Amino acid sequence: MSKVFPKAANALPLKIVIFLGVFVTTGLAGITYYITPKYTRVGYEPIQPVPYDHSFHVGELGMDCRYCHSKVDQSSHANVPASSTCMNCHSMIKPDSELLEPVRASYQSGEPVPWVRIHEVPDYVYFDHSVHVNRGISCVECHGQVNKMEVVSHAEPQSMSWCLDCHRHPEKKIRPVEHVFDLDWVHPGGELAQIEMGKELVNEWNVNPPQSCSGCHR
Amino acid sequence: MKPLNSNPTSKAELTGPRYWRSLDDLAQTPQFLEQVEREFGPEASELSEVDRRHFFKIMAASFALGGIGFSGCRRPESHILPHSKAPEHLIPGEPLYYASSYSVRGESAPLLVETHTGRPTKIEGNGDLPGYNGSTSLKAQASVLELYDPDRAARHTRKGSALSQSEVFDALSAFKDKLSENKGDRFAILAEKSSSPTRLRLKKAFMKAYPQAIWAEYEPVDTDSGAKAAKSVAGPNLKPLYDFSRAERILSVDGDFLGQDPGALTFSKQFADGRRVRSSKDEMNRLYVAEGNFTITGAMADHRKRLASSQMIGFLAGIALNIELGVEGEALQPIFENLTGSFDEDTKTWIAKCAEDLSHHKGKSLVYVGAQLSPEAHAIGLLINEKLGNLGETLTFVEDVDTESSSIQDLAAAISDGNVTALLVMGGNPVYNAPADLGFEALLDKVGMVARLGYYEDETSAKSEYHILQAHYLETWGDGRTYDGHIVPQQPMILPLFDGLSEIEVLARLLGEANPDGHSLVYETFQSSSETKEKRAFDKFLHDGFARGEGYKKTHSLVSGSKLVGVLENFSQPAAPSSDSLEVVFVNDAKVDDGRYNNNGWLQECPDPMNKLTWDNAIIISPRLAKEQGIVASDSMIQVARKNPNRVRDSRTFAPVYKVKVGDLEVTGAVHILPGLDNYTLVLPLGYGRTKTGRIGQNSGYNAYSVRTSSTMAFAPGATIEATGEEFQLTNTQEHWSMEGRAIVREANLDDYHHSPDWVSHMGAESHSPPIYGKDKYMSTQGKITTTPRGESIYEHPDYTGNHQWGMNIDLNVCTGCNACVVACQSENNIPIVGRDQVRRGREMHWIRLDRYFSSGLEKTEIPEDPQVSLQPVGCMHCETAPCEQVCPVNATVHDSEGLNTMAYNRCIGTRYCANNCPYKVRRFNFFDYQQRPLDRLYEGPLAPKGMPELTQMAQNPDVSIRMRGVMEKCTYCTQRIQQAKIDQKVKAKDSPNVKVPDGTIKTACEQVCPTEAIVFGDLLDPESRVAKLRENERNYSVLGYLNVRPRTTYLARLRNPNPEMPDYSDQPLAKVEYDQKTPHGSHDGDHHGSGDSHDTHDSDHDTGGSH
Repeated sequence: MSKVFPKAANALPLKIVIFLGVFVTTGLAGITYYITPKYTRVGYEPIQPVPYDHSFHVGELGMDCRYCHSKVDQSSHANVPASSTCMNCHSMIKPDSELLEPVRASYQSGEPVPWVRIHEVPDYVYFDHSVHVNRGISCVECHGQVNKMEVVSHAEPQSMSWCLDCHRHPEKKIRPVEHVFDLDWVHPGGELAQIEMGKELVNEWNVNPPQSCSGCHR
Repeated sequence: MKPLNSNPTSKAELTGPRYWRSLDDLAQTPQFLEQVEREFGPEASELSEVDRRHFFKIMAASFALGGIGFSGCRRPESHILPHSKAPEHLIPGEPLYYASSYSVRGESAPLLVETHTGRPTKIEGNGDLPGYNGSTSLKAQASVLELYDPDRAARHTRKGSALSQSEVFDALSAFKDKLSENKGDRFAILAEKSSSPTRLRLKKAFMKAYPQAIWAEYEPVDTDSGAKAAKSVAGPNLKPLYDFSRAERILSVDGDFLGQDPGALTFSKQFADGRRVRSSKDEMNRLYVAEGNFTITGAMADHRKRLASSQMIGFLAGIALNIELGVEGEALQPIFENLTGSFDEDTKTWIAKCAEDLSHHKGKSLVYVGAQLSPEAHAIGLLINEKLGNLGETLTFVEDVDTESSSIQDLAAAISDGNVTALLVMGGNPVYNAPADLGFEALLDKVGMVARLGYYEDETSAKSEYHILQAHYLETWGDGRTYDGHIVPQQPMILPLFDGLSEIEVLARLLGEANPDGHSLVYETFQSSSETKEKRAFDKFLHDGFARGEGYKKTHSLVSGSKLVGVLENFSQPAAPSSDSLEVVFVNDAKVDDGRYNNNGWLQECPDPMNKLTWDNAIIISPRLAKEQGIVASDSMIQVARKNPNRVRDSRTFAPVYKVKVGDLEVTGAVHILPGLDNYTLVLPLGYGRTKTGRIGQNSGYNAYSVRTSSTMAFAPGATIEATGEEFQLTNTQEHWSMEGRAIVREANLDDYHHSPDWVSHMGAESHSPPIYGKDKYMSTQGKITTTPRGESIYEHPDYTGNHQWGMNIDLNVCTGCNACVVACQSENNIPIVGRDQVRRGREMHWIRLDRYFSSGLEKTEIPEDPQVSLQPVGCMHCETAPCEQVCPVNATVHDSEGLNTMAYNRCIGTRYCANNCPYKVRRFNFFDYQQRPLDRLYEGPLAPKGMPELTQMAQNPDVSIRMRGVMEKCTYCTQRIQQAKIDQKVKAKDSPNVKVPDGTIKTACEQVCPTEAIVFGDLLDPESRVAKLRENERNYSVLGYLNVRPRTTYLARLRNPNPEMPDYSDQPLAKVEYDQKTPHGSHDGDHHGSGDSHDTHDSDHDTGGSH
């Protein structure tokens, strides 16, 4: 057989293995980085038509999430406020601010302010805000500490596995309903105490997050 | 699809005008016209100064964001567009429901319309109005699609060139001035029938203001005979109102009171309530039917007599002779004897025994005469009902509020005399559907000016100078009256998409009303009859969807025998049809109606309930005539009821084309054979063969109006047929006609059920297959559905751990096969239509279908002429041990914890193994991008034009995914409704454990629409739920239960209630006879009585069968 294959061929299998190893690893790393939501979504921070500062309105002024996102506990969709909601205050406060011009223009003309969407689930996913916030899942679990964000950015990957992590172990995230809109709240007793309380709440409230396809896909 | 306000994806959508405004712009603003002419939007292809700055801003942001690599182009930017000023009541993401109504031929049905961000998407019935139960008809369900029909007329025109709305208003007011000058002389209006109080008010005002004008009304499907008869024999301004709820014995004479006749929606519910049987001690009503056509009413009959429509007067006279006529009998008897007489002995016995049964149920019987029959037939029917004591019980005379109008014949005479110089045609389509003898199309040339208010640019528009755009009923204000006279509002859900006007708005402008907008007109009508005159009363009217009150005013009038003598004196019964003088019957089509829904894809593709044809009509003939005509080879021993004699491949039927001649008129169409017709009757469904319609309706079927004249509106005698030698492919979704001796639909007679309540469990192969539940057969239903014990199976079974376990039950005893569920499902679940060619290949997408079986029992003759029909709705059964799941290579179809067999579209790779393995054949595959491609361009390559028309997009339900090419789909039990109900319950529960959805909260689309409440959906885990109780019923059975797939959808077996006295009595339903005959051990089953498991009937676990 040595007549057929030169000696150098002996190293070939090893070379192939090494080549494939490097190729596959690079490929996987590339896919992970460029395709998985953990990297593609987290940190997305588009420029909005009006530089609305959550850290000021919520963090400093202490406004409740539901002043603007008023239907979050009644609807699947957490509404972005109508221009008229902004104008409730800004018709008197800073009525001439240049930054607020798009809001005033919208209020006058009837055309919407084109806010840039940050969190977007695919069309085949049916997420419902109301059921989460009414059953002890805080805004912070999916959106991060918006009350500390000057410009809102995408905080969590919001991939299917990320959803399922919580649906399989709701006790890690669930909290008493009165603290849902308090984005700074953490269980004072730390992680273990959270899990212990979480298990109690899950049991008490009969919490059973769906883990089948039909829970989110219709 | 997500709600519209949250998914704009491009700049063009952002800057583009919103849809319902854009056509306004199209007609009016030059800027918009300019924009339309450009290849791209104004900002897409060039950079203005401002845009360049914006561009750099975005670029800078994305570079900063992404750092290195391609991350800058990873994510398309999309926008959230909130309202400028938040509207009241609207919660973004949640549907809103408005009460409205749907009107056809002067009968309104109350509706609740689901709207998503201002788009009506789904029609539901308004359950608050007693008698309607939230149901709607098939046609009402499909009417929402008309709103979004891309082929609908989109502009007002004059001689083909576009007019703006203000120009139309100017034209109308100029007309008004002219009318006021000459009191309406030489002016005529041709309108459709309507029950709208506002239109009636305007009509009266119009006749008062312009007394010289002609007001004519025409409906191609005339339903006025009953009222005409009442006026001639009972009293002026009366019409009869039927009520089936108290009728224990019903005789329907050539009527289709469960299908196409007026009032069918309420009748279906009333009839079903009298037929619903819950235990072996219950009684049910008995239905006798005499008819020439085979309708779904005939399919429900306990006794059915085939008789040509022309013979119905004689038939009714025969019934009248067999009941007590009292003092008037002496005068009437000779007349009746004169009318009847030509019947054979068998028919005479049938009539006598039927009349005897009716006489035994005085006050609790009802003789219903078909709406299309002549006033003379109706008059006899009214008399019979009176003599049977049914007046005030099952039949009441009520006040007819409508005023007199001219007929289309009067109008035609006036036109041909040259007395009409201007004609306004409001709705309808007389050029297409007026009686052929009038030559209406040519007549219009004699009219100086024809204006036309129409929804489509159709045949009549083509002959009109003005085409005024008519708005859809979901776009405009209006009102109407239900069958029994309750006043219901018609509310707009959306501004008119194309600036259309409604009938009342046009009339109001012709009258010069101060406020000619729809809302003011309806408000004014309401307030003029309201006692309180408060605005609040009107608000309540709109909110409830109906006005409080009794409906039409009831009277205690009686039928006058002497007047009836006058009516019948000069009447003689026409001769019965024979093989050389056939009788043609014109029927209101079950789908496209009189032609008005010709361009509605949902209806065109919905199979006809009886003949299962889609997309075309056919000349329907009886098997005997077919044999005589040689359509079946004369030496053939083919059993028609078992196998279609036409050549069949897939869903194509190669049907011979025949020419029908009626007098001088003739029409050509494909022939379809339907058993159960009168031997020498040809049935010609109306509504097809349109020459000017949209893309859906073009080239569908033949035009039966072309042989229909003023004197032969219901039926025409003396017809002949001859072969043309051509062949046409009919599209037929069910060529298979029989159950092949399997117990798919189980039937028994009521008497048998009374004697042996557990008969259902002794049918079917379950009693001979290995026992399904083994030692666990005595386990409760709740235990069985959660733990799914293995029985004798070698496979592990899944456990179902969810809070609910969903299941469905369908009562075959009350299902009338009206098909409403098919289209309701289509509307709810964004199911596409696939077109004639794809249906011929068996690729229709309906998630629920209605199987129709014929059975002819022991009759071994070549031509079974009196078959019985069994109907069965079939959707996904959600089997607990689903065979489809085991063969899916990618886990795209799996069970959820609550027993739903779910379909994850994004996982599906389209192997179609699941469909292959499904015993019920309920899985549907997207062979093409039916939603994205025009139906005639499905086969083009990947670069062919794609994309749903914007109008069609608006019709989609945002709560359900649109499926793409290459994925499998099927019934989901309306999972979107289940999830929403669970979410709503959890929102309500907050920090309490109360997350169980109460029974009855969730109604699947098919259950919601069902007029007879045949379908019940719910939680089987709750032993008190309706569906769990039905599953314990002794009539409950699983279709193909012996396969051990354990379906969650089960059926209640059908019962028939024949009269042993009748000549056509059979002590077993024919389906059962056929089953026993083809299953050799049929009689053996009797041995199992009392073997202990007779109450354990659900899932048909019959260990005793193991002894075989």
